[in-house]
Amino acid sequence: MDLQKNITDATTEIFETMIMVDIIAGDPITEKINNFKCSVSGVIGLAGSCKGMLAIHLPDKVAMSITGSFLGMDVTEVDDDVTDAIGELANMVAGNIKMILDEAGNNVTVSIPSCVHGEEYTMDTVSDSQRVVIPFNIDSGQFLVELQIKN
Amino acid sequence: METDLQQQIIDATQDVFDTMLMLPITSGAALADKVYQFKKSVSGMLGFSGDIQGMLTIHCPQNVAFGITEQLLGMSVDSVDEDVKDTIGEMANMILGGIKETFLNQGTDISLAIPTVMAGRSYQVKGVDYASWTTVPFYLDDGEFLVELKLKTLN
Repeated sequence: MDLQKNITDATTEIFETMIMVDIIAGDPITEKINNFKCSVSGVIGLAGSCKGMLAIHLPDKVAMSITGSFLGMDVTEVDDDVTDAIGELANMVAGNIKMILDEAGNNVTVSIPSCVHGEEYTMDTVSDSQRVVIPFNIDSGQFLVELQIKN
Repeated sequence: METDLQQQIIDATQDVFDTMLMLPITSGAALADKVYQFKKSVSGMLGFSGDIQGMLTIHCPQNVAFGITEQLLGMSVDSVDEDVKDTIGEMANMILGGIKETFLNQGTDISLAIPTVMAGRSYQVKGVDYASWTTVPFYLDDGEFLVELKLKTLN
């Protein structure tokens, strides 16, 4: 499975069709990133014939700008609108990845999303799984999409 | 689904503490309010899907997470290291494993994702508003922890 391509295709499509913001995908990040500062992380579980998790990690200002574009309003703080939007963003990207995985012969379903926000927190997955992290750049900054899959 | 979610959380959590940790706990009444804000805590989160979609989360203050880890691994811990994160993720896995069995006996089949563990000085964990929340507090010598079950409600 080419997880890098799956993440890039799924994320790019959501940004082009739902958020209407131009994004550029970078190369996968190989070092471990688990510590986030003043950030918002949308997380959703994948279960079924392969299981895993998808997370989107955004600095506060990037999360606010994406929410602003998504909802068509000015956003000046990380409020419920932002955490709802980022949870929904994780849900949409995971839904796209599910379709790609299913086309490759899997049968995957997604959980409900959750959203974490804080000044400083760590996020780790407890599992021996294949892990890919892709950085994406938009005008307001960079965010990460992380996919972990265990067959 | 006609189920007493509060009782299922209590039964599954109690079972893990009785059989895996041999640590006495008592449960309180389900909380009326959602709890979002956590300080100096460790949270293990595990999503599931199938006949019903949802997420189970266990939120432990650091010292409670240390106590559980020490009991499970038989070693002393004093920082939120890999052992503590693995343990709290595994707690979510074991508790949801128990709930999954009860669901299955009621004809509801779910599959589990992989656990994610958050830790930090101060963080919020939000859900989505199309989910029901059941949060049960548990008490042990080291303090209190919460087990929260969110289920997607039919739109």
